[in-house]
Amino acid sequence: MMNQIISDNIRILSHTKNKNMGTKIYRIGTYLPENKLTNEQLANDFGRWEPEKIESKLGIRERHIAGLEETAGDLAYHAAQNVLFDYDRQKIDMLILCTQSPDYFLPTTACILQDRLGLRTETGAFDFNLGCSGFIYGLAMAKSFINAGIASTVLLITAETYSKHLNSKDLANRTIFGDGAAAAIIESTANEQIFNFILGTDGKGSNNLIVPNGCLRSKYNPQAVEKVTESNDIYTENDLFMNGPEIFNFTIEAVPSVVEKCLEKNNLTLNQIDFVIFHQANKYMIEYLRKKIGIPKEKFYSNMLLTGNTVSSTIPIAYDDAIKNGLIQKGNKVLLCGFGVGYSWGATIVEV
Amino acid sequence: MKKKEFVIQLAEYCEFENNGLTLETQLKSVEGYDSLAVMSMIAFTDENFNVKLTAQQIKELSDFNSVIELIGVDKFEDD
Repeated sequence: MMNQIISDNIRILSHTKNKNMGTKIYRIGTYLPENKLTNEQLANDFGRWEPEKIESKLGIRERHIAGLEETAGDLAYHAAQNVLFDYDRQKIDMLILCTQSPDYFLPTTACILQDRLGLRTETGAFDFNLGCSGFIYGLAMAKSFINAGIASTVLLITAETYSKHLNSKDLANRTIFGDGAAAAIIESTANEQIFNFILGTDGKGSNNLIVPNGCLRSKYNPQAVEKVTESNDIYTENDLFMNGPEIFNFTIEAVPSVVEKCLEKNNLTLNQIDFVIFHQANKYMIEYLRKKIGIPKEKFYSNMLLTGNTVSSTIPIAYDDAIKNGLIQKGNKVLLCGFGVGYSWGATIVEV
Repeated sequence: MKKKEFVIQLAEYCEFENNGLTLETQLKSVEGYDSLAVMSMIAFTDENFNVKLTAQQIKELSDFNSVIELIGVDKFEDD
């Protein structure tokens, strides 16, 4: 009896000793649709903004646009294949997909992806609906699942086809948004490499970035009338509407404080952060925020030139790009901050 | 800041064609006044006067004087 107790205790101790106590982003894969929309095409179609003006002000030269038959589920599938190419799929036991352009009302796009990707049926899978803050929330969930012992390896995918929400006569939004997806493998590891989070919401801003029709509060209306914005962009209630000035005001108000609180919560100062990656809303906006917060230019990554604003995928695409370019290296601490539609925001710090 | 100086600085910040802009120039008549310029105007008033211009206020703007009124006339010197 005594021997049994001692043996059990040794087993428990040994289990505790071997147990990984943290999480990390193992690696990220991305996918952009083949079709591209260039500034020249927009200039030809609308005759309003010179291609150079778009690039210098918004930091975007071209964006990728999903094909007619290509969905967020397809982009997510390709991004996942790109990250899983030599990875043991049997290890994945949770699949989380962030999207605001799901393939269906139901079933859940993540369930379809579990099958398409050949993941075990013992894999938990679900979608969540967030935009520009989505990757941060996804990391928070992945970390929680792993540290709670509910999952050991999480495949976190962000995939968006906002182009399908846009009116073809809406120059401002067609200039900003691009389609794309990213897939991150989150694993358990000895020391925590995904630090503490700041998450927040202000639903009062929900009408400032919205697709009013198409869901159940207000169904798609084939007779929806065209409206003209102050800047002569055309949209209907079936399309995405963005109140640009209010969204900018929201970010000016929220982001500096989110960054400060995130540093505080992690007992770190900006000096101890090697790199900062914001949601790549547009170059002008994030440059203004960078200056306002006082983030040194050399620590700030901006990479929307060839992708545009891919919503929840901007942060993982930028993060992956910065690693591949050697800008971010092993051991670096990177502050990630997402903000936008909802309003919703989130920030964390990861160690590469 | 003097009011006339404000017109010059705002025009430069927003990349307006400055061909004889005055306090009475209607913003909507200015070459280059579009949604990109509005973004710059919001940044300019936040950075220099700590004033946030709402979408509704921007919609109702007329001339450069109307921007000054929103910021607060007391923050400006007479020319």
